[in-house]
Order: sequence, then C-alpha cells, then structure tokens
Amino acid sequence: MHGQTWPAIGSDQSAALADDWRIFTYGALAVAVLVWTLILVAAVRFRQSPRNPAPRSQKDANPPLEIAWTIAPLLLVIALFVVTYRIEAAVEARASAPQVRVAVNGYRWGWTFAYANGPTLDGTSAKPPEMVLPLGQTVALQVSSSDVVHSFWIPDMLFKRDAVPGRTSEFDLTPSKLGTFLGRCGEFCGLNHALMTFSVRVVSPADYQRWLRYEATQ
Amino acid sequence: MTAAAAARVTPPERHDLLSWITTTDNKRVGILYMGTTLLFMAVAGLLAMAIRTQLARPGATILEPHAYNQIFTLHGTAMIFLVIAPFALGLANYLIPLQVGAPDMAFPRLNATSYWMFLFGGLIVFAGAATNEGAASAGWTSYTPLSEITISTGLGQDFWIVGLAMVSVASIMAAINFVTTAFIHRAPGMTMWRLPIFTWEMIATSLLIFMAFPSLTATLLLLFVDRHLGGHVFDPAFGGSPILYQHLFWFFGHPEVYVLILPYFGVVSEVISTFSGRPLFGYTGMVLAAFAIAGLSMGVWAHHMFTTGAVNNPFFAFVSFLIAVPTGIKFFNWICTMWGGSIRYTTAMLYAVGFLMNFLLGGVTGVMVASPPLDFQAQDSYFVVAHFHYTIGGGSFFALFAALYYWWPKVYGWRLGERLGKAGFWLTFAGFNVTFMPMFFMGAFGMPRRVYTYAAGGALPLLNVIATAGAFMLLLGGILFVVNVVVSARRHEPAGDNPWHGYTLEWATTSPPPEHNFHALPPIRSARPLFDVEQAQQAKAT
Repeated sequence: MHGQTWPAIGSDQSAALADDWRIFTYGALAVAVLVWTLILVAAVRFRQSPRNPAPRSQKDANPPLEIAWTIAPLLLVIALFVVTYRIEAAVEARASAPQVRVAVNGYRWGWTFAYANGPTLDGTSAKPPEMVLPLGQTVALQVSSSDVVHSFWIPDMLFKRDAVPGRTSEFDLTPSKLGTFLGRCGEFCGLNHALMTFSVRVVSPADYQRWLRYEATQ
Repeated sequence: MTAAAAARVTPPERHDLLSWITTTDNKRVGILYMGTTLLFMAVAGLLAMAIRTQLARPGATILEPHAYNQIFTLHGTAMIFLVIAPFALGLANYLIPLQVGAPDMAFPRLNATSYWMFLFGGLIVFAGAATNEGAASAGWTSYTPLSEITISTGLGQDFWIVGLAMVSVASIMAAINFVTTAFIHRAPGMTMWRLPIFTWEMIATSLLIFMAFPSLTATLLLLFVDRHLGGHVFDPAFGGSPILYQHLFWFFGHPEVYVLILPYFGVVSEVISTFSGRPLFGYTGMVLAAFAIAGLSMGVWAHHMFTTGAVNNPFFAFVSFLIAVPTGIKFFNWICTMWGGSIRYTTAMLYAVGFLMNFLLGGVTGVMVASPPLDFQAQDSYFVVAHFHYTIGGGSFFALFAALYYWWPKVYGWRLGERLGKAGFWLTFAGFNVTFMPMFFMGAFGMPRRVYTYAAGGALPLLNVIATAGAFMLLLGGILFVVNVVVSARRHEPAGDNPWHGYTLEWATTSPPPEHNFHALPPIRSARPLFDVEQAQQAKAT
C-alpha cells in the first residue's frame, strides 16, 4: 500500500496536492534538462583541442541577453506562484459543517484520536492505533501534542501537519479511496520516532456507522 | 639598505609548532582553518558512513536508536558548522588579502582569535560524545521542547550549545575582518568594481553572517537559559513558544545556507573563468546577484515552517521562488563564461562543472519544496535530505574540492596529481549521484528523515541499498584524495607562481607567498591585472 503507486491519492485534497507535484516536477525537469544541455554543450564544444587552441573571444557582457535571462525566470516564478497559491487555497479550504471531528494528540511515542461524540482511541509504537474514517465525508482534524513537536503525516494523502505543544492546528480531510493507509510521525521526536506510526482505515459511511456503534459498546 | 639591515626588517620565517600557535599571518590562519575543517570533514564523513550502513537493510540493528540519533546530529552539525562554512572562512583568510593586494588582514590578532575559538568550539561539540548520555541527539536544528532539559537530560546538548555559540562568535569575528580588509586594505588601483569575484562573494557572505549569526547566538543563549536557569522562553506551559524557537532558529538557519553556498559560487566563478581562458561573463550581474540572493535570503526563513500552520505560507513561498532569479543569472553567466573559451579540463575544472550539474538539481528541487502544497509531503522527508545534499554536497562540497585543487599549488608551491585527482572526481561524481538521487524517491514515497530504520516492503529497501552503495563510492573517493595528497607531496612537482594561467592578483606573487604576501604588485587597471600585463608584454614583443 505504501510507496507502490505515486502520487497516491487517498483524499479529495490530495488530488490537488498531486497536481502541484506534477506541475512542479515537470517544470523542474524541463528547466533542468534545458540548463544541463546548455552546460554540456558549452563544456564539450569549447574544450581545448587542436581545433580550439585558444579562447575565441574575451567578450564579457551582453546587457540585452542578461536582461532577458533575468525577466524570463521572473515571469516563470510568478506563474508558479499563482499555481501554488491556488492549490494551497483549495487544499486548506475548510468546510462549514464537517461530518466528523477528530482531535489528534501526539506524544512520545504514540497517538490519541478523540472523536467528537464518539470513541477515543489510543496506541503507542508497540501497538499503533487505527483511525477509521467514512469515505466521501469531510473530516475536520485538530492536531496538537502533549510533549515535543510531532507531525501527523499520511504519505499516501501527500499531507502532514505539525503537532505542536501549546497550540492546536486544524485542517480538513475528505477520504476518497477505500483501504488502509499508513500514517506516521513526520517530525523528529527522539528515540522511537521511526516507530511512531498509525493507520487510517477508510470505510463506507454505513460501515463507519456500524464501527461507531461497535466502539460504543466497548 | 645594507643586507644586514634588510635581514633585521624581515626576520626569517619560523615553522616550529609555537610559530603556528602564535601566528597572525592571514595565510597560516587560513591553512589552520582549512586543515581543521578537513579533519572535521573526515569525522563527519565517517559518521555518514555509519548512517548509510545502518540504513542499508530494513530493520538492521547495527546501531541502536540513541547512537543513531547522536550520529546524525553530529554529522549535520559538523558538516554545516565545522566543515562547509569554516572552510570558506579559511579560504577567504588565505585569499582576500592576496586578491586585494594587502600584506595581511585588517585585524590579524582578531583573525587568530577567530580560528582558535572555532577550533575549541568544534572540539567541545564533539567532546559531548564523552559525557554520560553521549553527544547531542536532537538534530542539528535542536527544536524545543525536544532539546529542553526535561527531555534531553544529557550534558551533550549543553556541549553542543556552548560549542556552537563559540563557532558563531568566531564566524562574526572572521566576517568583520573580511569586510574591513576588502573595503579599506585594497592596493592602489584595486577599486571595488575590480575586486575578484571570490572576494565579492565573501563580502556578501560576511553581511549575511552579521545579520544571521547574532540570531543563532541569541537562540543558543535562550536555550541554555531555558535548560539551566528556568527561562521557560520556549515552554508552552509557561506561555513560552516552540514556534518562537523555530522562527529564531530559521531566521539564522536560512541565511546560513547561503553562507554555505555564496563563497563556493565565488570559487566556481574563479575556476571556470581561469580554465576557460575568459573573463567572468556578466561580472556586474554576478556581484548584484550575490547581493540579491543575500537580501532575499533574509526573508524566506519560515519556508521551513510551512507544515506548522502558524506562518503566512504564500508570502514565504513567493520570496523563496524569487531567489531562483538571481541564481539563474549566475548559471547563465557561468555558461557564457565557458562559451567561446578554450576549456582546459584540470581536476579543478571538472569539479566546477560537476558543481554546475549537481547544484542545478539542488536548485530546481529547491523551487519545488518552496511550494507549500508540495512541501506538505516533502517536509522532513528524504526528499528534503536529497535536496539539501544536492546543494551543500553536490554544490559546496564539489566547489570545495575545486578550490583545493586550484589553490593548492599557491599554498604549498607544488601541485596535486592530476591523474589521481581526475579518477577521484569521477568516483565522487558517480558516488554522489548514486547516493542522493534515490533519496528524492524515498522522500516522495513517504520515508521520513532522521529514522534509524524502516519497514521492509515497497521500494524503500532497494532505494536504500543503492544509496548505501553510492556512499561507499564516496568513501573511496575520499580515500583517493588522501592518497593523492601523500603521493603528490612525495613527488613534489614544483608549481611555479602561476601554474593555471590565472589573471587575479594571488597569481602575481610567489608560491607559497612571502609572509607579507607581495614583494611587488603589478599595476591594477582592471579586474584581471595579470591579463593586462600579458597583453602589454605581447604588444611589446610584436
């Protein structure tokens, strides 16, 4: 499930995040290939050889060219900024009435998931907890920490948010794919940071209701 | 003046141990600085080998977690604070007086003080490993509350704080010297717009040190107060703020990455210009770009905090994107410097071209992680590890070796072997890319940084074993460099004053230069005084 297909899309938000990855990756590769080519052409074509024994010119400035290669990248980064601004706004948009609210607390080395009007789940690195979420419903997550800085990260949803002691940070997540997703701590937090995992199981809304009823009886 | 009187004016140079301890000669302080950083580099490099050995297989138990955490903390701390930055300071110590035509630094004793504070600061950081709970283990960023005494109880963290504070103050002393020397100790005719590009880049670097390092010193002091005097500055239980620590740290930390690269932009510019046989293309633009990068870098610190949800992400994203513009200017100027030249592929030039190839990937992935939506995945993952190794490793580190091969004959009067040098370059270039290219994929697939192990399954085990194989190639490249130094020292091939046909002032004096740097200066009428001399001689001959 993890790192098999990429970018994996497990939520509505991560569809937009994957667009950002694609645009920036292709853009970066295009620029890199262009400049790598220029470097290699210059490096090979102008190497010293019997046909090229001495420098052909001592010209050291070309103002129109220099202005051009200042303006062109400037326009490019302004365009990239517009893209990134729009995508971030879409990813961070908040629903007025989320169907599920979960308060996430990170601690050394485990997680507590407290559902509003529902169960509270807890698990440490020895037995990581599992967060169950309904497909297609908006989940509001409130992230905090009770000791050091952690980060709530679901790699297959391309998203993390830091869990900082003393403050609560909120975001929405709308699962768009059934299945179990690995989650983990994204900010170094000491000895068992590597093992501070959790999982997110996305089920149908009907199964979610059954799960809530089951948890209520526990 | 009689011969006896001349002997009194310039006493013979001494080379005993005491003379090295008491020296205030800019060149000797430079050699001490650079030599010390190479030793620290060897240690930090071996620490990296331990990291890669542990990560070669999933679930390996070669290192237990606490040892692993100390090792990556020391590796990062040493490479950043004790290797890449201070090597540039050492090189600047050696070169700035030579490049501006001065007999020494403006404040020679301050200069020596800077070196000794740096040395002992570095030793103190490492000495933490000898304390009860070992060295610092909270990462080179040492975020609070992880680095507070409630969690990091050991003395190692305090050694880290005190050692780095000394290194920080030492860097400020060095920067004061560089700026003063470049501003007021220039030889007649050496106007600001004739300064060699390396000296310009060091002026920009020094200004960054002035602005950023006081924030580091203050942050370290506050952390110490928190740990031992009940400061609660970063303690949320008492109204303190871990986010404040991140702001203060990165207000230093991002300008710091440009302290790690601007000097090496200077190195690469000098090397490419010399071996292409052409003046640096777009000299004015190169200088302005350096200051644009320095200025912009003061306004991007919170791009390290996109995932906190506590900062204005679009603002910091935009300013970060803007840095691509002056960096692009530098790339195009380097390419145009080679264009129309007659490039001699010495080892130094190979490292400079290697720098261009690697740093480019570091640069474009830097624009990627500056996009907050992308960073929501990349932050604190191996993607970021790959990105900053392509800038500081594939960039600064390669330029550092270009500098070693290029200026070595000036410093010692004999050359490093080219055959072993070139073999070392190809091994290092291949090893570097085999090590760090897979890390982009590890990070994108979800492998966090600073983990001592990872689960089997998926692509991670294969990617990690490739990276480890690359690391061993890098180790071999490092060993080859040491061998080359030993072999070349025995061969002792005389270099002459100007082995590479360089045109800046350091090539106008003897190799090694006399204690007072120059017996006589050529007339300085452009940024390339020796080129003018050569043209005049050719005109006279015809």
